[in-house]
Amino acid sequence: MSTRYAGARVPRNEDPALLRGRGLFVDDLALPNLAHAAVLRSPHAHARIVRIDAGRARRAPGVAAVLTHADLGEFGGPLPMLIPHPTLIHPKTQQPLASSVVRHVGEPVALVVAESRYAAEDASDLIEVEYAPLPAAVDLTAAAAPGAPLVHANTGTNVCAHYTQRVGDVEHAMALAPHRFRERLVVDRGTASPIETRGVVASWDPRTQRLEIWDSTQAPIPIRNGLAAMFHLPQPSVRVVAPDVGGGFGPKVMMFYPEEILVPLAAMRLGRPVKWIEDRREHFVATNQEREQIHDAEIGLDETGRILALRTVFLYDAGAYCPYGLIVPIVASTTLPGPYRLPNYHAEFNAVFTNKTTVSPYRGAGRPHGVFVMERLLDRAACELGIDRTEIRRRNLIQPDEFPYAVGLIYQDNAPVEYDSGNYPRCLEHATEMIGYAGWADQQAAYRAAGRCVGLGVACYVEGTGIGPYEGCRVTVDPSGKVFVSTGVGTQGQGHMTSFAQLVADQLGVTPRDVVVRTGDTDGFRWGTGTFASRAAVVAGTAASLAAQAVREKTQLVAATLLEARPKEIDLAEGKVFVRGVPARALSLGEVAAAANPLRFAMPAEWEGPGLEATRYFAPPRGTFSNGVHACIVEVDPETGMVSLLRYVVVHDCGRLINPMIVEGQIHGGVAQGIGGAYWEKLAYDAQGQPLATTFMDYLLPTAVEVPPIEVGHEETPTPLNPLGVKGAGEAGVIPVGAAIAQAVEDALRPFDIHITEMPLSPNRVRQLVAKARRTP
Amino acid sequence: MKIDGTNTLPASVDTVWKTINDPEALRRCTPGLKELKAISPDNYAATLQIGIAAVKGTYAGTLRITDKQAPTHYRIILEGTGGAGFMKGEGTVDLEPQGDGTLLKWVGDIQIGGLIAGVGQRMLGGIGKMLIGQFFKCLEESLGSGS
Repeated sequence: MSTRYAGARVPRNEDPALLRGRGLFVDDLALPNLAHAAVLRSPHAHARIVRIDAGRARRAPGVAAVLTHADLGEFGGPLPMLIPHPTLIHPKTQQPLASSVVRHVGEPVALVVAESRYAAEDASDLIEVEYAPLPAAVDLTAAAAPGAPLVHANTGTNVCAHYTQRVGDVEHAMALAPHRFRERLVVDRGTASPIETRGVVASWDPRTQRLEIWDSTQAPIPIRNGLAAMFHLPQPSVRVVAPDVGGGFGPKVMMFYPEEILVPLAAMRLGRPVKWIEDRREHFVATNQEREQIHDAEIGLDETGRILALRTVFLYDAGAYCPYGLIVPIVASTTLPGPYRLPNYHAEFNAVFTNKTTVSPYRGAGRPHGVFVMERLLDRAACELGIDRTEIRRRNLIQPDEFPYAVGLIYQDNAPVEYDSGNYPRCLEHATEMIGYAGWADQQAAYRAAGRCVGLGVACYVEGTGIGPYEGCRVTVDPSGKVFVSTGVGTQGQGHMTSFAQLVADQLGVTPRDVVVRTGDTDGFRWGTGTFASRAAVVAGTAASLAAQAVREKTQLVAATLLEARPKEIDLAEGKVFVRGVPARALSLGEVAAAANPLRFAMPAEWEGPGLEATRYFAPPRGTFSNGVHACIVEVDPETGMVSLLRYVVVHDCGRLINPMIVEGQIHGGVAQGIGGAYWEKLAYDAQGQPLATTFMDYLLPTAVEVPPIEVGHEETPTPLNPLGVKGAGEAGVIPVGAAIAQAVEDALRPFDIHITEMPLSPNRVRQLVAKARRTP
Repeated sequence: MKIDGTNTLPASVDTVWKTINDPEALRRCTPGLKELKAISPDNYAATLQIGIAAVKGTYAGTLRITDKQAPTHYRIILEGTGGAGFMKGEGTVDLEPQGDGTLLKWVGDIQIGGLIAGVGQRMLGGIGKMLIGQFFKCLEESLGSGS
């Protein structure tokens, strides 16, 4: 078998269309007689709805319909609980339109459908909603305390879940530890900010009784299944298409957002297609957010810096509802141990409702928090014990001969956390070499002599990826010689059209340009779960390779008859099918495909059906664990608080690389989002729960100016958990950025002796830290 | 957002008290007030037109005066909602004699929500002070011209 394309820097199949503006995003869809929807949202963080009068809006020019909760009937909710958990005792989900109480700014109250978006928005201004404001639970610590205003009146508490995972005997080990250090570590709220906001177009055909939805979602098949159940339709009567999606990052894998119910409902009731496109201001309040956690953590170590015990007790801000269950805090708890031996570990959290936008996974999904806690504790210990920060990490690393390594915890997929493979010491060596750690002390001294505050940071992580339950793929050779690949995982910019094409091309002896990957259309492939948890390449990629392998075997079988040879003697290369060693006895792959679909005469029974086509599924037993090390050099201006990144190095091991260029692209994007979360991006709220950053003037995304060139080093330790040996890479870039930058900023400001315990920083915050520094240089 | 301040007005406590209870003076001096209709004593339907940051909006609501302790103290509550969100201002006014004039102390708490909060919150303190400043400057002028 040729392995020409897997592992190569193949240019992306999707780019020619996207770069020429020929992508098809939900908002590009123009259907005849299309109506446009606008959503009226709560301006209050918490209020009782006393009265809604939509009379004037209904009579406004161009208005086709106004829906309030009273109009929803059986569709009034609450919406389904996506991921329940036994300890989630208050599984609250929202209604598509609030009936009596609104619980965060931005919660939908009414949907207006009109001839244009302008008319819909003007009419939504005419809806009179009388609110009786209620006290809001905003601050996470205060919301968790007894006596706080209740987000859900009938729960008696804002704590919706309390969950503990333990390894070993932390109390005993901690008591015996000669060195113990405590930290309170805080990570604040952020939002993924995809270029494309959410959007839904729905069309109902009364003749065929078929509902078609175009949805900027990461999970078209679950949306199809859910909508079919809700509207009492068989699944083939509902088609959900996630066309080109301009970034997902996790928040687009909900089921459902209210608009995903309301827009189809309006289309069915009106008998005409309806479009809703979220505007950026809506996105800041109506699309799920993430990241707020407060950890009270303690580490116990022996004299040599070996970790004996670690305990974290933390609060997780769930927002107003918890449809996504406890995935984020469970991932935070289980990611914290990282690449280190942790014989005694206690992770305990309270998930807390607040009157803020609902939380669900955003790229990293709790991993950055766990890593921030572990790495900050190690930095503190290194400093207090006088051990070099890379040395203390080295002493605690799990060694290459210890795999598979059972951490002793249960992961988000309900399977044990068992590291399948890796070489953690080599990754650390690779990263410290790339950043020049050996010569750093001299270099830093030179900077200091020149009056510059420059610091270096190094942080390690392990990333759970590639979880089940399954994905599938169908590979079909067309008589034109093109190969069509269909799979259920949608794509939001990860390069699936190329990575999957490379895997298939290698099996069928064609080029990736000859392989057309179609994803995200439930009419194209019926089975699947979605694109999340860095799983597409691992699970759907393996399925694609297995299906292509089956097509290869079928091709050999058919060609053997045509070329009068044994199947085993048939080779596939350069689009040709030929007898090994006799290249003249050849057919094109397309000719074999045509011959595999005979018009007359008997078809050989061993073909098991016509065509060169096969469908295969892959269901991994559990997730596979990637790992890596980030190292960076920052310069801090203590006068202005400005932090500039001078260098950023990522050494990453995601097993066998399918396309190093695509993996690097994933890492670049992740690091950029990590830099945002470390220094620029913060969703601030006022004491009443009003969001204060709902534009890109106030919510600062890093731009090309703030993101340095990123140097990537690859390590390849294959996983035994799939035949390709691949692991996921989608979230690697973002995970340890906060931890690395915190260490680097501390290092840069070592003369001031500042101590960083929170993310994000900001120029203002760095100035405050300098102002209250323990030393003045 | 809590703000407070003091103003010295060139009239006696009694005169100032009369003025700050006079619907006509309130109508003339409340910035952005387009309409003020008495519903009952000390309770008015109000229409306000105010721009905060880039967001100009019209807000329909009420203006109420409560907790009256003539002639030195009352509480004033102004609430409005509109397409750009909602605003609620609540404040207390205390008068005490100062020489020939009156020292007026005010404490206010402004809340805004919806679009205006998203884009205007960080300007709110400054704008609130400016609007209240305009209110008292207008009162001062009325009292000055009256005396």
